[in-house]
Amino acid sequence: MSELVLETEKLDKVYKLGGRQVRALSDVNIQVKKGDFISIMGPSGSGKTTLLNMLGCLDKPTYGKVILDGVNITKVPEKGLFKIRKYKVGFVFQTFNLMPYLNAIENVELPMEGTKKSGDEKRKRARELLKLVGLSEREEHRQHRLSAGEQQRVAIARALANNPAIILADEPTGNLDSKTGHEIIRLLGKLNIDQGTTIVVVTHDSLIASRAGRMLFLNDGKLLAKEKQGTHLLKRELTCPNCGREIQLDDTFCPRCGKKL
Amino acid sequence: MAIMISIPAGIMANQEATQNLTENYNNTISAMEEQINTTATLIECSAASTQFNRTDFPGSPGFPSGSAQPFRFEREEVYINETIGDEIATIEGVKDVVPFIEVSSEETTSETMNSPRGSFTMSRPLYTITGVCLNSTVIEDYSILPTNITSGNPLSEGDSGVVLMSLNLSEYYGVVVGDEVEIYGESFTVVGIYNSAAQGFTGARTLYMNITDAQTVTDNIGNVSRFDVYAENSTSTLITKIATVIEAAYPELSVTTYEDRLANLENTQEMYTQTLNNAESTLSQTQTVATQEILIAVAATSLIIFFVMLYTVRERTKEIGVLKAIGFSNWNVMSQFMLEGTLISLMAGVVGIVIGSIGAPILSSYLLPHISLFGGSQGRFQSDFGSVNPGIASAVVATNVLDPQIILLAFGVAVLLGALGSLYPAWRAARTSPMEALRYE
Repeated sequence: MSELVLETEKLDKVYKLGGRQVRALSDVNIQVKKGDFISIMGPSGSGKTTLLNMLGCLDKPTYGKVILDGVNITKVPEKGLFKIRKYKVGFVFQTFNLMPYLNAIENVELPMEGTKKSGDEKRKRARELLKLVGLSEREEHRQHRLSAGEQQRVAIARALANNPAIILADEPTGNLDSKTGHEIIRLLGKLNIDQGTTIVVVTHDSLIASRAGRMLFLNDGKLLAKEKQGTHLLKRELTCPNCGREIQLDDTFCPRCGKKL
Repeated sequence: MAIMISIPAGIMANQEATQNLTENYNNTISAMEEQINTTATLIECSAASTQFNRTDFPGSPGFPSGSAQPFRFEREEVYINETIGDEIATIEGVKDVVPFIEVSSEETTSETMNSPRGSFTMSRPLYTITGVCLNSTVIEDYSILPTNITSGNPLSEGDSGVVLMSLNLSEYYGVVVGDEVEIYGESFTVVGIYNSAAQGFTGARTLYMNITDAQTVTDNIGNVSRFDVYAENSTSTLITKIATVIEAAYPELSVTTYEDRLANLENTQEMYTQTLNNAESTLSQTQTVATQEILIAVAATSLIIFFVMLYTVRERTKEIGVLKAIGFSNWNVMSQFMLEGTLISLMAGVVGIVIGSIGAPILSSYLLPHISLFGGSQGRFQSDFGSVNPGIASAVVATNVLDPQIILLAFGVAVLLGALGSLYPAWRAARTSPMEALRYE
């Protein structure tokens, strides 16, 4: 479990805004191991999204390198980047960004377009993924007939379609009420435990961030030295910290002693 | 799109009409030429006033005075006495006199022609009965019977109660050699069927029979329509001399010599050439205008596609960003938008073809009225070339039919314009940076 999935070395990003140089990121070093569930927290403007874009091949750093699944993606030419986005990374957005003219299952199939999978295989995989996020009943529904939480679940299923090395979620709960937001972060946690999916979540919500396994803090483009342990339960820790009984991942309260988890 | 389809359709139909006209004219002229050249010694003496009379139908308000009024041509039958032939035969220098009788059929046919100013109907006899002198030497020497026999036999000396029928008439009646046909209440056997060389020529609908049969059955005993007088040689002094004698003795006869016919032919040719030139210049003018209009339409269409696609790409910037973020390549994005533009254009093409096939005949009849007027102007020289008319009528009708080639072409153009118009917008979509596109609201 100690294999590195994602690693950044001295990551710098400098924007030019009207002749003025803005340093969005400076000297960011992150190491993400396989099976990690990491949250990156920071106030708005701290460079969270910039960092995530860099990790997901949407943007190029000014200095430094990003090694994703053993590949230095900062050296990959522009034309080859789409393959990395397709097979190595799964994006989850704040605004879900489903295609409004496609239904849930077609949205999940979308990243599999242009892969070697046949139509039936795509459909089968999409069905599995929708089941995984608990939307088996909603396959044929389009965006406008899905609640915000359901839309984000479809988006998560879509991110998983090509079995990527890492899921990058940019404020995945930002457009959701707190209850639905917690459901989503719990779903991500469940995927991390059940499927071993490596997940990086960027958020400014400390409650959401605390649900991850590791919490990193970003301020003014710099990664703070302090790192906190989140409340994310690994599989072996699926017991109530109060009474020691076995609990289910989705439980908010311990069914035995009634304490909040 | 509709304009794009309808204009070429109209032009093509009218080109066809002009071609048909040219073909008709050429056939007619060459048939006339042939006849004139082989009969240099012939002096035609026919009953002077045998001609078609035009009857305009009164009481048709809304029609401007002119050729578009409904009218009918009727042949006024004027006959001369058979015995005049024997007298002419005694004139010095005359070798032979061959009598003919020409009687219109009882049945008539009417043809309706369409023009932008309304339709008009022309009614005329279905065919002409020509009674010929069935003397074997006459038949051989002067080739008075058609030679292009397609089935059965030609008429020969002593034949009675039989007819030689033109191919188009036999098709009209559905008869073959050996069948009976009824003419003026009497039954005749079809002994042979011939094919007229000139499609538009009056000879196309003629039924030949023994002259005595024709005289008896049409109640014209002792009457003939014309004499073909043959001189001993073709020197112009002899022919002029004979013609002068005949004209002086029988003022009721209209006499035409080889030279008269030659002059006639030249006049006719000139008239046709003029008509054709007019038609062609009208057509080429219209084509020039139409070409300009098509170019404008094409340019407008691709510009519309261009702007629509540019707008679409702008509207859907975020969508493009998402597609690229989940792993769509530049080429995937570009082909998606190209396909969209082409599909829009193709759908417009389908709508255009529907509108075009409804609108093209109407539009082209207004844009190109001159061609349809041929039917009307034809009346001026119809007494010679009455049967050219069906050809023109069918050519005018052809304007109403949309060529499948045009439809295919229109589809091709639609696809091409769609692809062309969406090329740049699609390229721009493909080039969008996913990060910036995702930020776009």
